[in-house]
Amino acid sequence: MATISLNHYLIVGAVLFCTGLFTMMTKRNAIGILIGVELVLNSVNVNLIAFDRYLGPNRMDGQLMALFVIVLAAAEAALAVGICINLYKNVATVDVDRATSLRG
Amino acid sequence: MPYANDVNNDLFLNRMIFNAMANSTHRTRAEGLGLRDAALIRCAQTFDHSRRLKPAAQGRAKIFPALDCLRWLNPVVGLVCLAVLVVWGPGASSVAAADTLASDVAGVTQAVPGGVLEALLFYLVAGTTVISSLGVCIAKNIVRMAVWLFVALGSVALLYLLLAANFLGAIQLLVYSGGTLVLLIFGIMLTSKSPWVRFEPHRLELLGAAVICGALLVGLCAALTGTTWHGMEEVMPGTSVAALGRRLLTVYLVPFEVAGVLLMIVMVGAAHLARQEK
Amino acid sequence: MGEHFYEILLALGVLSPMVSFWILVFAGPKLGKPTAGWTAVVLGMGVPLALATWVLISWWWGEDSVSRAALTENAFRFHWADIGSVPITLGVKLDSLTVAMYFMVTFVAFWIFVFSIGYMSGHSDEVDGQSKYSRFFAYLSLFAFSMLGLVISSNLLFLFIFWELVGLCSYLLIGFYFDKAYASAAAIKAFVTNRVGDFGFLIGLMLVFYQLGTLDLDQAAAVFAEQAATGSGIFSSDFSLFGWSLATVMGVGLFCGAMGKSAQFPLHVWLPDAMAGPTPVSALIHAATMVAAGVYLVARVFRLMTPDALMFIALIGCLTLTLMALVAIVQVDIKKCLAYSTLSQLGYMIFGLGCGAWIAALFHLMTHAFFKAMLFLCSGQVIEGCHHEQDMRKMGGLRKKMPVTCWTFFVGVLAISGAGIAGTTIGLGGFFSKDEILAVAYVRAFEWDDAGKHEVHDGDAAHALGSTHPVTGVRLVSDPVQNAHGGFARAEARGAANAHGEDTQHVGHDDSARASIFGTIPALPKWMFYLALFTAYVTPFYMMRCWWMTFMGKPRDENVYRHAHESKLMYVPLAVLAVGTLLASYFLFRPLIADAATAATAAPLVLALDGHEHTAAIGAAHRFLTFGVGGAFIIAFLAAIAIYRRGLETPERIRRALAPLHLVLVHKYFFDEVYDVIWVKGCLLLAKVARFIDTWIVDSIFDMLAAATERIAAFSGLILDKHGVDGVVNGVARSSTDFAGFIRRWQTGRIRHYVIFATGVATVVFLWIWLAGASNADAAVVSAGM
Repeated sequence: MATISLNHYLIVGAVLFCTGLFTMMTKRNAIGILIGVELVLNSVNVNLIAFDRYLGPNRMDGQLMALFVIVLAAAEAALAVGICINLYKNVATVDVDRATSLRG
Repeated sequence: MPYANDVNNDLFLNRMIFNAMANSTHRTRAEGLGLRDAALIRCAQTFDHSRRLKPAAQGRAKIFPALDCLRWLNPVVGLVCLAVLVVWGPGASSVAAADTLASDVAGVTQAVPGGVLEALLFYLVAGTTVISSLGVCIAKNIVRMAVWLFVALGSVALLYLLLAANFLGAIQLLVYSGGTLVLLIFGIMLTSKSPWVRFEPHRLELLGAAVICGALLVGLCAALTGTTWHGMEEVMPGTSVAALGRRLLTVYLVPFEVAGVLLMIVMVGAAHLARQEK
Repeated sequence: MGEHFYEILLALGVLSPMVSFWILVFAGPKLGKPTAGWTAVVLGMGVPLALATWVLISWWWGEDSVSRAALTENAFRFHWADIGSVPITLGVKLDSLTVAMYFMVTFVAFWIFVFSIGYMSGHSDEVDGQSKYSRFFAYLSLFAFSMLGLVISSNLLFLFIFWELVGLCSYLLIGFYFDKAYASAAAIKAFVTNRVGDFGFLIGLMLVFYQLGTLDLDQAAAVFAEQAATGSGIFSSDFSLFGWSLATVMGVGLFCGAMGKSAQFPLHVWLPDAMAGPTPVSALIHAATMVAAGVYLVARVFRLMTPDALMFIALIGCLTLTLMALVAIVQVDIKKCLAYSTLSQLGYMIFGLGCGAWIAALFHLMTHAFFKAMLFLCSGQVIEGCHHEQDMRKMGGLRKKMPVTCWTFFVGVLAISGAGIAGTTIGLGGFFSKDEILAVAYVRAFEWDDAGKHEVHDGDAAHALGSTHPVTGVRLVSDPVQNAHGGFARAEARGAANAHGEDTQHVGHDDSARASIFGTIPALPKWMFYLALFTAYVTPFYMMRCWWMTFMGKPRDENVYRHAHESKLMYVPLAVLAVGTLLASYFLFRPLIADAATAATAAPLVLALDGHEHTAAIGAAHRFLTFGVGGAFIIAFLAAIAIYRRGLETPERIRRALAPLHLVLVHKYFFDEVYDVIWVKGCLLLAKVARFIDTWIVDSIFDMLAAATERIAAFSGLILDKHGVDGVVNGVARSSTDFAGFIRRWQTGRIRHYVIFATGVATVVFLWIWLAGASNADAAVVSAGM
């Protein structure tokens, strides 16, 4: 237990992943879903950096991938929040269950 | 609020709720009211609470009182961890070495602080991460979720520092905690003026989600512990920011530029989405 | 001086206008009317001019030829990135040409900036209640940044970037009065026409990138020479387009960019329209600097040109200089007249480059920048003074009202006409530069055989070099340039070349070596030389006509004459530029460029008046031409004065006599009309044809089919459908409705459910694979399965 191995980090990543998924599954607030997505992306980043540290001999590929993920996550969040605000303007709520105008 | 769903599905009632909010916001629970009326008032009160940022509604904090205690502890713990990491952490000597060493191609050799200190730090930070991520998925109020997310993101940044990815840790704090989260909170504030700040799923959905996520977590952990990773005999030294930047602007130049273009497109798109209709 | 001293100064000079640009963009409206302009003058051009002067002085007088060559060799290069295996370097091209161009641009631009403050102060420039004053200077600063960046770029990629930036500035400034329809139309026309040229430029760039494997100017030239010598790379291709080899196509492609930017013959249509912009812009961008960027580009990539490409360049230049000079004769708008004269002079430069008169063409660029900027500023003064009257027929007699403008304009007229005293060294700009172009063209046309050797008449050569023959030999031998610096520079150039371990003359001018690389270098067709010579007579004519109509004679329009006045602030730039024109003719730029030419002589074909073995032949040509060209201005001036002396009656009679010719010239050879018919109307016609086909052929086929189907359907519907098919269909439909209802229950439209389903399935699959793989106890499978 004293030495921290790769698996330790991967398990933390797995926990983050599952809680993120759980958040996405159970929240009806659009921004709540977005928060879940952020958690999932973070779990991916933890894994990438952990792999980079333990498996990639100085390639830095994992870190750079994580960097790109962060950039894309920021972009995605900006767009998603914009969409949420538009949703709110149109249906006066951010409850995704009420955004049903495209439903068949 | 088990009756939230009933209320939500009734358009007529929506209007009623608005009226109720307008008229009897501060009315306490009146005797002799029907179930439906009680529901209306509860809704209105909830709305009121969330708008005025009063303490949590009853019945929520009681389930996880420990979490609420930790909430105040977390920033302190995080700061302490950050300080320890920056001073003695695995990335610290690489920062110092990167300043002195001209060569950054082969990374910087340094000893990872093994043993108890690293383990202690890891369990502290990982514990914070796990608890706060659980907090995110358990919290019902969206603002609380955001607060927990803040803690989670910060502790993930500490994880990066533990992994000697100093730059990524800093970026995580800057971009995620500093940028994305603020964006989310703005989103929350701009959209919170709604009678249904809390929406709750069916119990069935909750159950299904819990089962699936639990199974996945168990499966993942089992798979991980059963896997032997090749090439993990020695822990790699930390990389300097200069080497990272060099690689980003040489090997990863094209993705880098594409990301720049994407960000610009997103900026335009977000501005377009959020603009005021004339 | 530290390492990269010059590069740092030049780069600072490029960045300073950028700072000015950002200041003006964000704080411009707050700075208000005179302050914003002075910001641009000081930060946008004053600082670069100071730096440029510093660089020029320490470069030319502080370094000897050997150290200059070393500095050029070791100029700053920064390895920025790799595209595939091709490194992209960012750096400063540091040689005498850069220094000369940089100084010229900053000097001319500085005074134009100063002039602009006076010019813009009186303008009603409000659009939507917002002043465009600071915007104008912001654009000018951006232009200064881009133009200076273009000049110092050592890499074709960055050169292209700055190239596009100056194009953008040009677009913005032509369309500065965008609330006027003609201005925005002119801006769009300029932009689109430039895109046509840039398309060729891009093709050339891609060929350079692909075939030479580098975008660095020096490296590309080295690779090109090596490939030419060994017949590998771009020279091993069998590609052929109109009989051009791939290398020629590359050269012509690069030249296409110059054709667009320098407004050469088929793409010249935008430049006269570009006069819709404010007059300082016409002076700065569309006369002195930006349009010269095309010439500069060709000079920079001269070493990548094959003989065929050079012949094409000469042809285009020759056509431009002749045709545009003729149009200038009939223009009545003072700015249009100057615009066509700019086109014609640009044609001279391009023609000179095509002939191999590298030094002369660039020398002409420098002198032209000075006097043309001055001419445009004078016209701006006139237009501003006459309340935006641009029609010369309504002017006349303005010399009394605006004497300074009148006489500075006259200096410009003399300079562009190549006025000088034949046989002596007294003359103005064009007297030296244009004549040298013509002399080189003469050698290429008459004393050249197809093996790439000119026929040197030994007697002539000896005569020219050695003799002190009273009149004819004097001008060449005692050329002021040679007296002042030429001989010096020549000796130094040899020293530099030897320091490099190679003989400049041998590399550049050994005919046999050249022949082995490119086969034969053909002689110039004789008609090209005759056209250029003829235009040398036309130029003074139309310039004198322009000046006479504006300033001399009697006032023709009382209203205009009464209002005419001069603005004090605008005196200074005019006077400075007039002095600059006089000085630039003699002392500075010719030796500077000749110094840069030692590097450019690696090109297959550089002929120059001094310093090389061609001297003899060119000298002979020059002797022959001295009176022909040097005296041209007298004849043409007299002709113009004779015609326009008595107002407009004589020209009117001539116009009636030559009505068809006049019509063609006034309509600028119907280029706009032809382009309109071919491109605009052509597109519309194509659309109409497509629409016709769509309406009458495609639609009718479908109508027919539809009608037939209808009939068949009506038949079958009655008989088959009702009874046979319907039963089956209804059955299927009912069952599918039931099935859809079943599916629909899963398609809740709720995102959570989708997440739950997707994750659930993924979890099941994962667990299944893992459990299956766990029995194999193979870790790799597990990790792959994940």
